[in-house]
Amino acid sequence: MIVSPGLLAPFHRPPGSGPLPGGTVGTVSVGGLGDPGTVLLSGPRRDGGRETLAGHVGRWGTLPELDGGQVLALLRSSGLDGRGGGGFPLARKVATALAGGGRPVLVVNASESEPASGKDRLLCARRPHLVLDGAALVATALGVSSVTVHLHRGADGPVEGVTRAVAERRSCRLDGVEWRVSRGPDRYVSGEASAVAGFLHDGDARPRFAVTPLAVTGPSGRPTVVVNAETVAHLAVVARIGAGGWASLGPPSFPGSRLVTHVGAVDHPGRVLEVVGAATVGELLAPGGVTGPPAAVLVGGFAGTWLEGRDAWSTPFDRTALVCLGASPGCGLLGVLPHGACGLVEAARIVRYLAGESAGQCGTCVAGLPRLAAGLSALAQGTFRRRGLARLAALGDELLGSGACGHPDGVVRLVRSTLEVFADDVVRHLAGAPCRGADHPAVLGVPDPYPTDGGPRSEEDFA
Amino acid sequence: MTTVVRIDPTLCRGHAICALYLLEGVEIDRWGFGRVVQPTAVSRRAVRRALRAAAACPNGAVVIEDAEGPAAPGVRPERPTVGTLEGTAPMPAGLDGLG
Repeated sequence: MIVSPGLLAPFHRPPGSGPLPGGTVGTVSVGGLGDPGTVLLSGPRRDGGRETLAGHVGRWGTLPELDGGQVLALLRSSGLDGRGGGGFPLARKVATALAGGGRPVLVVNASESEPASGKDRLLCARRPHLVLDGAALVATALGVSSVTVHLHRGADGPVEGVTRAVAERRSCRLDGVEWRVSRGPDRYVSGEASAVAGFLHDGDARPRFAVTPLAVTGPSGRPTVVVNAETVAHLAVVARIGAGGWASLGPPSFPGSRLVTHVGAVDHPGRVLEVVGAATVGELLAPGGVTGPPAAVLVGGFAGTWLEGRDAWSTPFDRTALVCLGASPGCGLLGVLPHGACGLVEAARIVRYLAGESAGQCGTCVAGLPRLAAGLSALAQGTFRRRGLARLAALGDELLGSGACGHPDGVVRLVRSTLEVFADDVVRHLAGAPCRGADHPAVLGVPDPYPTDGGPRSEEDFA
Repeated sequence: MTTVVRIDPTLCRGHAICALYLLEGVEIDRWGFGRVVQPTAVSRRAVRRALRAAAACPNGAVVIEDAEGPAAPGVRPERPTVGTLEGTAPMPAGLDGLG
């Protein structure tokens, strides 16, 4: 089924008009900001700017008054999963923090370090009150009196959106919590949960090695709940339409609606769309002007997984289905590689970027990632020798699981799926045949790699 | 009581001295960085070796804790946290960091 925004609008309803119909699996709606059929993104359209508190309350009504136990029950029965990439159930995070000793710390992670993803930035810039509503609910569940919303320094629109929304709420004493807006370094690993928690504790935004989960003990010694901005925005919806109504916005195995970001060979790279219902990857790409299976799709983020275009096209965008192909929904990034472009060249660009974004703390990352990047670059440029391939694979195996955070693992995952999905190109490149995408312009919009000439990055980069 | 041994990868600088002590529990990669493949030390002998490795590591990267959790959670140890091992083998006398 090909779906374009506006064509199907089974969920177009004025919010507050009662619970959503159940049993909606099988109907798909994909839309952008303000399009009919959307839930999180419903409301003012693209040119409408930030939704004010008045507009937000007018559409959604005020936040229902719930006590901590009721919020936890909503989290449990909705099955709300983390949307930052890990997919960890928020109910379990909150319950863990409550079971631990000490006053918990609550941080909304809106830094969205994934440069190609735009969902959290969009929510903070355009629908900040959904994020703050949800954060206030989690604060209630945890019994904390202050909430920190953490963003990247360079994200002007989102920072302004959240700051002004906080000012609006303060002026009418809307919440029983004290809001803090924090701005951290614009580096890739600085958005990792332990790096965010660490930055708020001592100003060092590098991932931490910890033997216990953050929700048990964070860098401050207190249980620390770091929750993604999209996740809490969904909670604001759950509180209004009920856990069952919200869960039925997605397939049974993947409850709720979700945000995805298109990049690569699509009509509007960087566009954020919301999917309601059980959609295949193909149905998610169709609104971006992709009419048939592309050469390949990068799923889940830069440190994600390539899927062969035809496989991806008919695969449900669903955790279970993607895991079966070795992928994960991650942060919802969908990167389209068109026919005629070379996946090895694109992947080499990404790995170079990611290698430069290491915090330079763990030996395997410092020593391993540049070699992985160099190997893949050599393969992409056709200067690689055949036996190097086995070495590249062995290097990947060695790096897996060796760092304090998941950064090296993500890069290895990307390299593995690159060698698998683009096996034909690997053979061509090894044989010295000209690259299929030699003259193709860059597709995925990878930022320039951080200069890595001076060894490990300095601490100032992460403060 | 079970003791858990870990190597903090952010502190490890690849001296590989821990490999002298944690013979079967540690894997050293091609650059000398250690990784614990068998984190629980049950026998007194294994615990003793882990303590020596922790004392010998010049960067304090070998972290030792009881199975119930670290004594000072979330704090990056300046020195190995051998003090958390109450009730297990005492630190061998005369151990000056080089075994």
